Amino acid sequence: MSLLVFAGASQFAMVQLFSDKAPTAIVVASVLFINLRHLLMATSLRAELRRLPIGGRLFAAFFLTDESFAMATGHFRRGGRSLAYYFTFAISLYVLWNLATLAGIVIGSAIGDPRRLGVDFAITATFTGIVVLAIRRPADAVIALVAALIAGSLALAGASTVAVITAGALAPLIAVFVRR
Amino acid sequence: MIWPAILGSAAATYLVRSLPFVIGFRGHLPGAASRYLEALPVAIIAALVGPAVVAPAGALTRGAEPLAAALVVAVVAWRRSLLAGVIVGVVAVALLRII
Repeated sequence: MSLLVFAGASQFAMVQLFSDKAPTAIVVASVLFINLRHLLMATSLRAELRRLPIGGRLFAAFFLTDESFAMATGHFRRGGRSLAYYFTFAISLYVLWNLATLAGIVIGSAIGDPRRLGVDFAITATFTGIVVLAIRRPADAVIALVAALIAGSLALAGASTVAVITAGALAPLIAVFVRR
Repeated sequence: MIWPAILGSAAATYLVRSLPFVIGFRGHLPGAASRYLEALPVAIIAALVGPAVVAPAGALTRGAEPLAAALVVAVVAWRRSLLAGVIVGVVAVALLRII
């Protein structure tokens, strides 16, 4: 599954749905919904990836995840231009993800709760830091805060599958109304 | 039952990631649209953070995650270092969860 569906949140949702014996259509629809946010991410990476031929872009798309999107965006925001940065990071992540899946299959039951060590917070902290470094104008900070608040509220209200896509699509509207 | 779902999910995942790279638009974007697209990346990353901070693992936070996230913001804003922020954040959340 990790080899074909390279999408963490979707994979966890799928495992849950499989154990609930959900029908195939429900599983696929849930995954589509969870990953709708990648439509937004791919849209925002278009400008940089336009330099690639179509085959390269289709290859890049397979490895597009929240993490590779965040790292690439941080890289471009700091003035970086190289696409090698994206490919190196994204493909390493794919290899490591599958090695870790394999390790999980083999020794999974021997490991306790990872939450105890705070390791699960590393990704959240990384994303938080990327947002801080990407902020250049006061409006950016407002947009980031509004996006986080909308997504957080939706997740608390039980709508976690649509939280990111909704907040990610709504908050940038602020920029449309702000004059430079 | 499981394999069709995995293959279908693989197709769905790839579809949303590749579609924007395939369909192209011509000409210039109006100012409002380009301001929207420029604000999009930061908004999406922040939107990923929101649920992880207020509702980690699906349940309302007991305070450790928001505090640690605030600490990460402070450290990164001050040191301009992602690594420093992540280390402080992970250590802080581990300690705060014990309390």
